[in-house]
Amino acid sequence: MPPTARPRQPGRRLSRLVNIGIPYLWLGIFFLLPFVIVLQISLAEPRLAQPPYTALAEWLGDGVLSIRLDLQNYLLVLSDDIYLAAFMNSLKVAFFCTLLCLLIGYPMAYAIATAPSRWRIPLLMLIILPFWTSFLIRVYAWIGILQTSGFLNNFLLWLGLIDEPLAILYTQTAIYIGIVYSYLPFMILPLYANLTRLDRTLLEAAADLGCRPFRAFVRVTLPLSRAGIIAGCMLVFIPVVGEFVIPDLLGGPDTLMVGRMLWTEFFSNVDWPLASALAILLLGLLVIPFVLMQRWQLAAEDPDR
Amino acid sequence: MSVAIDRRALEPWQDPSAVPFVRIERVTKQFGDIYAVDDVSLSIFQGEFFSLLGSSGCGKSTLLRLLAGLDYPSSGRIFIDGADVTDIPPYQRPVNMMFQSYALFPHMTVEQNVEFGLEQERMPRRERAERVGEMLDLLKIGELRKRKPDQLSGGQRQRAALARSLAKHPKLLLLDEPLGALDKRLRENTQFELVNLQERIGTTFVTVTHDQEEAMTMSSRIAVMEAGRILQIDTPTGIYEFPSNRFVAEFIGSVNLFEGRVMQRDGDLVTVETRLGRPIQMRCPLPLALGKPVTIAIRPEKIRLSAAYRDDAVNQIRGTVEDIAYLGDVSIYHVRISPDQVTRMTLANIQPQTEQELTWGQEVAMEWSPTSGVVLTD
Amino acid sequence: MRRGRWPLFTILAFGYAFLYIPVALLVIFSFNESRLVTVWSGFSTKWYAELFRNQQLLEAAWLSIRIAAVNATFAVLLGTLSANALVRHRRFRGRGGFELLLTAPLVMPDVIIGLSLLLLFVALQQGIGWPDGRGFTTITIAHITFSLAYVAVVVRARLSQLDRSLEEAAMDLGARPLTVYLRITLPLIAPALLSGWLLAFTLSLDDLVVASFVSGPGSTTLPMVIYASVRMGVSPQINALATLIMLFVALAVVVASLALRSQAKDRGHRTNARR
Repeated sequence: MPPTARPRQPGRRLSRLVNIGIPYLWLGIFFLLPFVIVLQISLAEPRLAQPPYTALAEWLGDGVLSIRLDLQNYLLVLSDDIYLAAFMNSLKVAFFCTLLCLLIGYPMAYAIATAPSRWRIPLLMLIILPFWTSFLIRVYAWIGILQTSGFLNNFLLWLGLIDEPLAILYTQTAIYIGIVYSYLPFMILPLYANLTRLDRTLLEAAADLGCRPFRAFVRVTLPLSRAGIIAGCMLVFIPVVGEFVIPDLLGGPDTLMVGRMLWTEFFSNVDWPLASALAILLLGLLVIPFVLMQRWQLAAEDPDR
Repeated sequence: MSVAIDRRALEPWQDPSAVPFVRIERVTKQFGDIYAVDDVSLSIFQGEFFSLLGSSGCGKSTLLRLLAGLDYPSSGRIFIDGADVTDIPPYQRPVNMMFQSYALFPHMTVEQNVEFGLEQERMPRRERAERVGEMLDLLKIGELRKRKPDQLSGGQRQRAALARSLAKHPKLLLLDEPLGALDKRLRENTQFELVNLQERIGTTFVTVTHDQEEAMTMSSRIAVMEAGRILQIDTPTGIYEFPSNRFVAEFIGSVNLFEGRVMQRDGDLVTVETRLGRPIQMRCPLPLALGKPVTIAIRPEKIRLSAAYRDDAVNQIRGTVEDIAYLGDVSIYHVRISPDQVTRMTLANIQPQTEQELTWGQEVAMEWSPTSGVVLTD
Repeated sequence: MRRGRWPLFTILAFGYAFLYIPVALLVIFSFNESRLVTVWSGFSTKWYAELFRNQQLLEAAWLSIRIAAVNATFAVLLGTLSANALVRHRRFRGRGGFELLLTAPLVMPDVIIGLSLLLLFVALQQGIGWPDGRGFTTITIAHITFSLAYVAVVVRARLSQLDRSLEEAAMDLGARPLTVYLRITLPLIAPALLSGWLLAFTLSLDDLVVASFVSGPGSTTLPMVIYASVRMGVSPQINALATLIMLFVALAVVVASLALRSQAKDRGHRTNARR
């Protein structure tokens, strides 16, 4: 017997078109297409005009199309130590900040997840609340704390721990403090979400089988929270590599980070092609952790797959 | 003669000229490689209380969803009241469903829930209010009309869901595990209420259940399903007393099975040779070839147990009492009849247990008449 | 057993102190008499008065609020459509790419988003003459592009928790798909739409980097003004502004959670659903 055709559902077709089509189109135009343009401009030459770059393709008359791809921007970035140093430093800062966030965030997420249930939501709200206030202002608050005549130095002087103020602001240390402070909630939230789903009877079973609490944590809790750890780390690592505001406000003039470099090339030096090349390289650097995150996220959403 | 006519009115499936109200014709539903419903044909008559019975994953819920239009068959046709509804979307079918979770809209009151379907019909406001009142009275939940679903108990929710699905006066009401979410005590009362309600309003009901007792109590007929197929359709009595195959016999209640071969036929009486001593004689209307392997199925309560072995009895097997489980009203006896087979039988405790003569380890004889069981060929 | 929890509580206490002390100091010193933001010299509200006389800052704030509101509305619209697509149309061609496009804005560094969108706007202007210059429209478009991804996460979580049989029941009772969506689905995911809106609003109000790239002359947002001022050095006026912003946000969060609580009463479907 031939299978009957699935009944036509014009409503569903329309729903498909609207629900998928409209956001897809929006993201295609305003998120994907711009990268193509960045790539294109990263291959152009800078010039003093508006816009400040040369066209890649030009009609030279007589039907001759001239396409000039200029790899000079990439060569410059790859050959000049200062750019390389900026990339390396960004990766280093992002790595250590992620590690610090994990070391502080994991116990906090664990403490919240294992707190009595009526405390969990308020404790979690307290983590989220600063996230709702302005990022810029929270970074600003640290200037007042870390500067030479700031609270921290005053406090340490008053305690008698130091004799003269420490120079913390405008150093790499200040950047670490600022980043860990700003990105901590991004680490705690996925970890918390993961740890609350953990079945507590598993730990009881481990204890029943003679496993001491610490070993049970290492053998049971930690492996089961792997998805949360990866999500949290990626949510911190990826944006921090390209962070601009924190290094700019808390770091010194000698602190090199890619995001800041890109900003400088773009706004101060008006070298759009070079800024674009930096953006493309940064993007290339972040693709790997991003794909990893995506894969882990899918696996966590649908464990049967 | 008059008895026969009566039977036809009550049991339209016995009447070859009766027109079925719902007709499912060779319907198959595939999900990927899995056949959830596999070439099922089925007729349901006006005013029936029809149950689809089976364990979870047997395809009964899928079949119900196909009737509701929530899924569409991969092949085959479905007719309701003479009209082909196979391709009709759920919102245009003259069918309503009560969901297993009840699916009451949490943001609406009971009243608004019941009214929802009528609004979709564009029924005038006055008539709508009247119908809602009727339904709430019918289910005796008038005083709950302003409550929201989370302010109702399980039983009240069930009634509200029922009121909502009946409000549009559907030609066919589908019930997905209608009592599944209720606790045991409430379930028993509700079974009878549901049957009374159905008799009063005369709507055709199709329910899905995994609970055989529930199906037996409520249904006019039962379809037993397994792996997407229907194994038997019959009245509760028919399903219990005359199962047509081994699966149904074992699925409904408990049963003792004896395997053997047809040794002799005499009219509708067959003699079956088994490994358990004397041949067994059973009534069987089916034409069976000599030497054909068959299974004899006998319900535990159809077996008599006695301490004395009599030579003149027709069907008798000897064994040893191995276990006695005292359940109050009845006792269950496990009797070993061979090294690898134990028979189970139920005896009503007519006398107090203490005075009973049978005890552990005792040699006993089991007897039954040729009409107390069936011969199965698969 | 209880003794074993002490280290955890200590870490928690230090963690919250770390999160809240800077904010608390900020608020306290907004009421400081002196220009210095580190030495207390008496209570005063003069910085607030000065704030309200700062015309440039007020204008920037008004622009930012307008952008944030328009952004939030569009982001909720597009984010909800995306969530519908992911939850309701489980299989479609390009689903992988779609999910990628929806996740990427969550982690993409701001500088890349800002730069790439600016270059797009410049190219578009050259090519088709739109957008004509940069300002309100370009900033709003840029903000919608990353906000919609956040909204999609929130709405998607809610939508996938929704008991499917509620919608099936509505359809069974004769409601067409669009009616089902408007009368059943939308009211039930409304809390997620509200929190999505608030999230998109604050994300926009908070953005410095992307706005800096895609804004034009005459369209300076609040974060851009704050940034310029902070680069000049700390000023109690910024403290006062920060305090007001936090007050505003706290108020919004309280109002929203009250609204959600009254909605939560209707959330019977979590207990109602058994499957």
